[in-house]
Amino acid sequence: MEMFTQQMINALIIGSFYALIALGYSMVYGIIKLLNFAHGDLYMVGAFVGFAVLSLFGGGTGLLGVVVAFFAALLFGGLLGIGIERVAYRPLLSSPRLTILITAVGVSLVLENGVMKSFGPSFKVYPVQLPTEGFQIFGATLTYAQILIILLSVLLMTALHLFVTRSLYGKAMRAISIDHAATSLMGIPVTRIISLTFFIGSSLAAASGMMAGMYYGQISFMMGFIVGLKAFTAAVIGGIGSIPGAMLGGLVLGLLESFGTVWLGSEWKDVFAFSILILILVLKPTGLLGENVTERM
Amino acid sequence: MAQLQTTTPLAKKSPLIPVLLALFAVILFLMPYYANNYMLDVATMALFYVVLALGLNIVVGYAGLLDLGYSAFFAVGAYTSAILMTQFQMNFWLTFLIGGALAALAGIIIGAPTLRLRSDYLAIVTLGFGEIIRITALNLEITGSSSGIFGIPRPSIGGYAFTHLYDFYWAMLLLAILTLFAVNRLGNSRLGRAWKYIREDEDAAEAMGIDRVRVKLIAYALGAMFGGFAGSLFAVKMSAIAPESFNFMQSVMILLAIVFGGLGRLPGVVLGAVLVIILPELMRSFAEWRFLLFGIALVVMMIFRPQGLWPSGRGKTE
Amino acid sequence: MKSWQKLGLALTLSSALLSACSPEAVNNSSGGGSGEILIGVQTPTTGSSAKMGEDMNNAIKMATEEINEKGGIDGKKIKLEFADDACDPQTATAAANKLVSQGVKAVIGFYCSGATLPSSGIYHNAGVPVMVTAASSAKIPAQGYKEVFLTTATTDQQSEAAAEYMLKTLGGKRVAIVHDNTAFAKGLAETTQTAVQKQGGQVVAFEAINPEEKDFTAMLTQLKAQKPDATFWTAYYAAGGLLIKQFEQLGVSGAIGVGDGSNDKTLIEIAGKEAAEDAFVITSPTAEFIPEAKSFIDTYKSKFNMEPGPYTAVSYDGMRLLADAIKRAGSDDKAAIVKALSETKSFKTFGGDVSFKSDGTLEKSNFIVLKVKNGQFTRE
Repeated sequence: MEMFTQQMINALIIGSFYALIALGYSMVYGIIKLLNFAHGDLYMVGAFVGFAVLSLFGGGTGLLGVVVAFFAALLFGGLLGIGIERVAYRPLLSSPRLTILITAVGVSLVLENGVMKSFGPSFKVYPVQLPTEGFQIFGATLTYAQILIILLSVLLMTALHLFVTRSLYGKAMRAISIDHAATSLMGIPVTRIISLTFFIGSSLAAASGMMAGMYYGQISFMMGFIVGLKAFTAAVIGGIGSIPGAMLGGLVLGLLESFGTVWLGSEWKDVFAFSILILILVLKPTGLLGENVTERM
Repeated sequence: MAQLQTTTPLAKKSPLIPVLLALFAVILFLMPYYANNYMLDVATMALFYVVLALGLNIVVGYAGLLDLGYSAFFAVGAYTSAILMTQFQMNFWLTFLIGGALAALAGIIIGAPTLRLRSDYLAIVTLGFGEIIRITALNLEITGSSSGIFGIPRPSIGGYAFTHLYDFYWAMLLLAILTLFAVNRLGNSRLGRAWKYIREDEDAAEAMGIDRVRVKLIAYALGAMFGGFAGSLFAVKMSAIAPESFNFMQSVMILLAIVFGGLGRLPGVVLGAVLVIILPELMRSFAEWRFLLFGIALVVMMIFRPQGLWPSGRGKTE
Repeated sequence: MKSWQKLGLALTLSSALLSACSPEAVNNSSGGGSGEILIGVQTPTTGSSAKMGEDMNNAIKMATEEINEKGGIDGKKIKLEFADDACDPQTATAAANKLVSQGVKAVIGFYCSGATLPSSGIYHNAGVPVMVTAASSAKIPAQGYKEVFLTTATTDQQSEAAAEYMLKTLGGKRVAIVHDNTAFAKGLAETTQTAVQKQGGQVVAFEAINPEEKDFTAMLTQLKAQKPDATFWTAYYAAGGLLIKQFEQLGVSGAIGVGDGSNDKTLIEIAGKEAAEDAFVITSPTAEFIPEAKSFIDTYKSKFNMEPGPYTAVSYDGMRLLADAIKRAGSDDKAAIVKALSETKSFKTFGGDVSFKSDGTLEKSNFIVLKVKNGQFTRE
């Protein structure tokens, strides 16, 4: 029981990070059908922006510093996302999907190596770290930092969900994902809405990067790659294009990894997770919550 | 199947072709005599990438199925040769054939359940499959786990042992030429036309009586087979293989090669493969800058020349 | 079929490109014969181990400059040629071929065992002496290449020291071993498992984590259930720091310690002072624990404006030893250098006197145990 509870907590934390990044993947995919490979790197950039701002504040950073750094990461990540879309993706929206996918790989290389050149190749220790104090619950350890991360993730995801389902902008986003051309004919500024989508998705990734930096305490320029891959998997498990799907996918992947470790050992957990992914896709090709759309390329 | 080809590519040659091809052949064939080991090694790697890119081109370029885990097939070939040669002292050329066959089988295994999937999902399934193969190689004892397999014996042919770099250069060159020839023939065959039809419009192709599952499976199997052949030769050339050679970035680089040059067009694919190997080497003196520059080059190229470096004549031929 | 014409053109162009690939390679094929001795440095300067490669390059540069300032080797200056192996077997092979074709007389460096293994075969074929100053997998000498010399003790020797500390000094019985599935760390983990069992201990968990991830709690929760007396991490400091932090957070029983790959102050910074308290490090002596190395540390700091990393002193010494061997060889002939290296007798280094066994490994290994006290490594 103790082990089970602890593994659930572990899964919840990992899943929260996956879900936050998967959201960006899903939103961008939903609106322009692009697998944005550079998305995981925005998570990394967010962590480094937070790192830079916190380092500026110096040693005795209080709550104020953390809040400023958080919003700096959010804003910078979002703007970078808009910039990337404007420069690298927009000219290619009508080209074959492979072309734009390769561009995304190029952007990813640029971000990783750009950060490596500016911050150096070594691992960085986060200047401010969340405390590791916590309490026991059913014999398992739950820290205050973990509660904060779960709450913050739920908050961000709920806000996003409401925005997309209730606001006019959200409506425009959904319209574009259904029919690009028709939406444009209805007088909706499609390019602006796409920019907005990139802003939101990227800032969420950057914010979670900053959170990961404070929670785990160590960052490096390569940190976005594997997380990006996992978040991408999470988005597909949940049903890419769907926001609740991304949340569910993150959680499911977190659980798969935790219990893959329990059942098969830590070195096989990714094999387990990827096998389940393939199984899910074969049995339910749209992912858990994806909509059924027949493809016309 | 009597009429395999609609056009014979080499039949309608203009007078300039023989000159250029001859010049190129001279450079290629004289390479071992004027190049130093480093250049020869880079050239061998480039030829190796040509084979991989041509194989992947069957799947992605011809049949239009996005594959993000191609290095898995090349891993199957490499590990097959490495294991059979070090543990069972088998002859390399036999393991080469087995490697290709097993890779083709792996292609069918991964292809069969996933063919109904949309292309983006296919991308992630192949990606997942690539990771599964890599992690399995990392964990199993028979694959030498993380340090891989080293001390793979050198192959020999009729008493002549492959000891020098140029032996492998010749072998890789031969494999590249054979692959180029085979893939070109395939592309112009009835099967090749079926692939392209499926790529352009799957439903219409099916309505015309093309068995799309069978045709796609063959694309997977053949694409994987060439990957297996290349991997097998790679293993004996390196004399050591490790799981890190088969990671996701490797799959991406092979994909880059074919998109860089021009998807579906063999000359473009060959050029792309060569450039993907040579550009980072040329930029070696910039050491830490090279991947940054490579990334920028990719983005710029895709924006200004999205059809690939190769001037596409698609409208004409298809 | 104009495309075939273009193919010919393109391929011709690209082979011309290839021919231009390495102009300096052609120029230098003589190995800088006139008053210079060309020595290759193969280290990772890109990828996740880039910092270690940078550290080692700095130390090697520093030793070379000092040797050259004192007039070089019999009047010949040492010229370094750097090649990045990115810690990846394939890049390493290309790097090794590049250095060999540039005509290096010897190579030094080598951080990752996984990159060292395939490249050492290439140097062996070319008869180039190889000075390995950081990689220490027991598989490297096991290849039996007479050109390869290791100036760090091998994983076998480290495992014995680790098992002895955990079982005898700490008085534990149940040992957990965690590695990161890299060639070096897994090798060390396996030899430690053997050593622990041989010395009468019990290995209750043998786990691997992916160092590119940051959350190891699922594995540690499994580990906790085994109630280990001591846990040993065989890989590098970046993931090691996270492991120690999460180990303490979950309240796993027993002590936690690391191998020499994690001997870096950053380990304590990542883990946090409180979590790292009492963690032990099994390591060959690094500069800061050797009184004689004080001037080395000062020079290094003022030169590169950073703390010397764990493999700087041994790389610095390796370069000095190599230069000494070339001097003793009396020429820059590769076979003569190999012979001179194998005849090394009690060469003075920070880590002790170096002599080689017939397999190219150190005659005497000297491991020390460090313990974290108040956020500092202190010698036990």
